[in-house]
Amino acid sequence: MSFRKTGAAILALVMAASLPVAAFAEEEKTIEPTEVTFWHGMSNTQEQVLTELTDRFNEENEYGITVKLVNQGNYGDLSTKLTASAVADELPDLAQAYNNWLTAYTDKIVPLDEFVENDFDDYEDLVEGYRAECEQLGFIGALPFNKSTYVYFYNKTMFDELGLEAPKTWEDMLAVGEKFMEEKEMPAFGVDDLAGFLEASLAQNECEYASDEGALFDNEAGLETLEYIMGLYNNGYARLIGEDDYFSSVISTQRIGGYIGSSTGVSYITADDFELGVAPLPTNKKAAANQAGTNIVMFAQDENQQAATWEYMKYLTSTEATTEWAMKTGYLPVRVSAFESDEYQSFMADDITATAAYSQVDAFFPAAMFEASNAVRTSVNTMFEEVVLDELEPEDALAEFVQIINEECDVE
Amino acid sequence: MNRKAGNVIANILKYGVLIIGALFTLMPFLWMILSAMKTNAEIRAIPPVFFPSKFSLENFTTAWKAAPFGRYLVNTLIVTVFNTIGVLITTILAAFAFARLNFPGKKVLLTLLLATMMIPSEMLLITNFITMTKLKWIDTYQAMIVPWLASVFYIYLLTQFFAQIPDALYLAAKVDKCRDFKYLIKIMIPINKGPITTITILNVISNWNSFVWPLLVTNSREMRVLSYGLVQFQTEEGSAYELIMAASCILVIPIMIMYLFLRKYIIEGVTQSGIKG
Repeated sequence: MSFRKTGAAILALVMAASLPVAAFAEEEKTIEPTEVTFWHGMSNTQEQVLTELTDRFNEENEYGITVKLVNQGNYGDLSTKLTASAVADELPDLAQAYNNWLTAYTDKIVPLDEFVENDFDDYEDLVEGYRAECEQLGFIGALPFNKSTYVYFYNKTMFDELGLEAPKTWEDMLAVGEKFMEEKEMPAFGVDDLAGFLEASLAQNECEYASDEGALFDNEAGLETLEYIMGLYNNGYARLIGEDDYFSSVISTQRIGGYIGSSTGVSYITADDFELGVAPLPTNKKAAANQAGTNIVMFAQDENQQAATWEYMKYLTSTEATTEWAMKTGYLPVRVSAFESDEYQSFMADDITATAAYSQVDAFFPAAMFEASNAVRTSVNTMFEEVVLDELEPEDALAEFVQIINEECDVE
Repeated sequence: MNRKAGNVIANILKYGVLIIGALFTLMPFLWMILSAMKTNAEIRAIPPVFFPSKFSLENFTTAWKAAPFGRYLVNTLIVTVFNTIGVLITTILAAFAFARLNFPGKKVLLTLLLATMMIPSEMLLITNFITMTKLKWIDTYQAMIVPWLASVFYIYLLTQFFAQIPDALYLAAKVDKCRDFKYLIKIMIPINKGPITTITILNVISNWNSFVWPLLVTNSREMRVLSYGLVQFQTEEGSAYELIMAASCILVIPIMIMYLFLRKYIIEGVTQSGIKG
């Protein structure tokens, strides 16, 4: 009897030890009911949709997790608040953020590599450019959330009138600009994000932008890029935003032929008296399109909080949620499977912006991230306006950009 | 007859200048109200449209529904009232001490205080925020009120006014056995009603408009203030200006009401300080 008992005990031990690790982990996955705080910068419709999605998660998740949404103003306010909270060690469990906000407190970010490896549905299904962005810190520091890309919005009625097609290449763009100037005495080009435009144009010309080593475009390809850009501005084919705030209002009032802006900005264009066209960004040696919009970053410290936060992150990036989010807000889905879903495809058939955005999905690239990337962005924006207002020659403009970037990066 | 005509011309000139002045001041205000009634297309039209095609209150209801403005209003009022009372107490007492009392280190202390004015307030945001989190004051009224209970600028301003009151008045009061505190309450404050009213107005306005600090130290919607409500209509890609204008109207109404009620004191205060030079 006693022998039998001991034997059974040994047998049980051996069996337990031989259990596969995965099954073991699965058994351990119990999350205590908890509240997860999510700081975001969404307002209006976007906030409503986020609330709908979150309410559903709160109701349906099996662990009793409650996600509390906290709106922290717009991106600028959210970024300030995150920085202050990082210093005070009071970060929320989860927050929307751009990578370049995070350089000052990367140590507070929870690396997601293990979570992705153990418990995530097909990581490769996330759009490649987004993945690259989330991995810029050297580890998986975020998951993509409200993503968008830059597209070329144009006044199709005017284009038709002038017998023009949407520009596909840099030459096309210059030709469109010339025609508009001749026939309408009106610029056909503008950009909301000047620094982003410089970076994308360099990428289109197969030239690097900047890194910790400073500016990387002080070369032939860089000069060609500046020749294109200054050609647009110095000839009056393109204009700066000036007092107008956003080009969405300029195009709405038919004072410009077209402009490059975020795909989500379409809701601010009023095309009552004309037909709006949307095209992918003009290309040169290769296609390259900025991706924009924030990711979600985990800061939760406690293990249970992390597990709960991860459940919510998985939910927000699921094919189903990202499809619904994209269709209701105008952001882009974060998964290829969502782009390809019947639901989104039929939505896209009626949505020219989504169509244009999707057509360049393979050309998405994340903004370069390095220690001074945020400062570089600000300085380049200012410098861009200066070189345009001073009508500099391409060589001089190039020199100015290189100098300001190197200064920000503390490079000789 | 001639004199009468001269009077009329003088009056026309006088009122003409006043009307032009009033127009200049009222214009932005009128623009805000009219814009609040425009459609999105009208507000962005070039050349600008002055009057909306129809006077619709739709933007007001949309804006009002977009955020709990009632709650924001109550919070703003609480913060403004308590902070202003506190500021007045600290300012008056400190100014009196600096202007009237003699104590060792007075000059050094005043210089030190003035030196703090050189530090930009943005620099203090993070350190103050850390203090608030250490005190566990995040998401409370005191976090919005207490850190700004003393203002060096107001203290300095009032000290200058207090210092102008002749010593003779103080000494005479002393002869009559009037204590310092009584002298302050009975004589100094009434004489300086003008600058004190000015400080009150400045402080109310800065409370009413403050945005970054209340945003930093609050998290729940129940604790947010009015200025936060305006952000609802701004995004990275564009702003709904007609809604911002409607919300701005809502934001400004309480200040207008306050002005109507306190008009007498405000004008009295301003003219008094003017006469005193």
